Amino acid sequence: MNRWFRVIPQITLLWVIYKTGNILAEITHLPVPGNVCGMILLFVLLLAGIIPIAWVEEGADLLLRHLAFFFIPIAVGLMQWVGLFQLSGLQLTLVILIGSSVGILVMGSVSKIFSRSGSANGNQSAKGGI
Amino acid sequence: MNILLILITIMITIGAYSLSRFINKRYPHPLLNVVFLSTAVIIFVFLAAGISFTQYQPGLNIMTFLLGPATVALAIPLYRNRKILSANFIPVVVGIVFGTTANIITTILAAEFLGLNKVMVVSLAPKSVTVPIAVSISKILEGDASLTSVFVIATGILGTFLTPFLLNLFKVTNPLARGIVYGTTAHGQGTAMALAEGSIQGSMSGVAMGLAAIYTSFAAPFLVSHLLI
Repeated sequence: MNRWFRVIPQITLLWVIYKTGNILAEITHLPVPGNVCGMILLFVLLLAGIIPIAWVEEGADLLLRHLAFFFIPIAVGLMQWVGLFQLSGLQLTLVILIGSSVGILVMGSVSKIFSRSGSANGNQSAKGGI
Repeated sequence: MNILLILITIMITIGAYSLSRFINKRYPHPLLNVVFLSTAVIIFVFLAAGISFTQYQPGLNIMTFLLGPATVALAIPLYRNRKILSANFIPVVVGIVFGTTANIITTILAAEFLGLNKVMVVSLAPKSVTVPIAVSISKILEGDASLTSVFVIATGILGTFLTPFLLNLFKVTNPLARGIVYGTTAHGQGTAMALAEGSIQGSMSGVAMGLAAIYTSFAAPFLVSHLLI
């Protein structure tokens, strides 16, 4: 399959950037996860033109399309916590609702200040996200 | 630990994932979330077959091998939307910083007030960012990876109902602002909702989701260390 000859080296390059991000996080002693360092590193390399997007695009899109798959085995770890949700399910739901609502309201208020001063212009369309 | 069992657990996982994707495509609804459905099916099968989480661990390690590079790949949507980001840099960054900070502080204080224990408080703190980054932040804070992943997905599901409701209630109509709120509150699931609303909302949400994850990884450890009693 021709496609895999492109995708496998691309994913390997992403893996190398991920590992570099981990090493960077370790030597700088930043309290930031290695995967975030890797993501920032790739963004900077793309902006600087050191890595053209065509080198990673196809592999990245394949991984992002199935991103949810990688979460599933982690979530299965929940089977060790079965009693927890019967015990604290209501409190957990409340915490999530309260935290998210306050966040939404603060962001909504901030955006209203900006749109009144006219700095947020929405006429620039871009290609879809994820 | 034998190879056959590892293969069986991997096949169960892939089977549950394919089934859930099929159901979700047929009946697209936030409650029929792929991760929630798959996880429920797998746990049900494991409990019925007497497979423990320890026996699942080797298969888990094989299947999550590509999660690191997949997380790094989140830079791609950020790069594709760099023009819309640089044109609105200040409102985007200010919105994300204030919103995320308020979200984390309220979450920690509410969790402590309701008497949840330390592991749960810490695992809840990064709940609004995408799973792989939330899990890494949770590990740094000595939280639990599986708890965090479930809180993140629950936040995504609740967020897809809560975000449009509150945005409409408070008459936030600017598509850029709506996109930022979707991505910052409900990560990937919010971005899917934002894309359904419009292309500006969708791309802004993708950008906000990436930036909120970066900001949270700096802010959450700081806020937790100052607010945890």
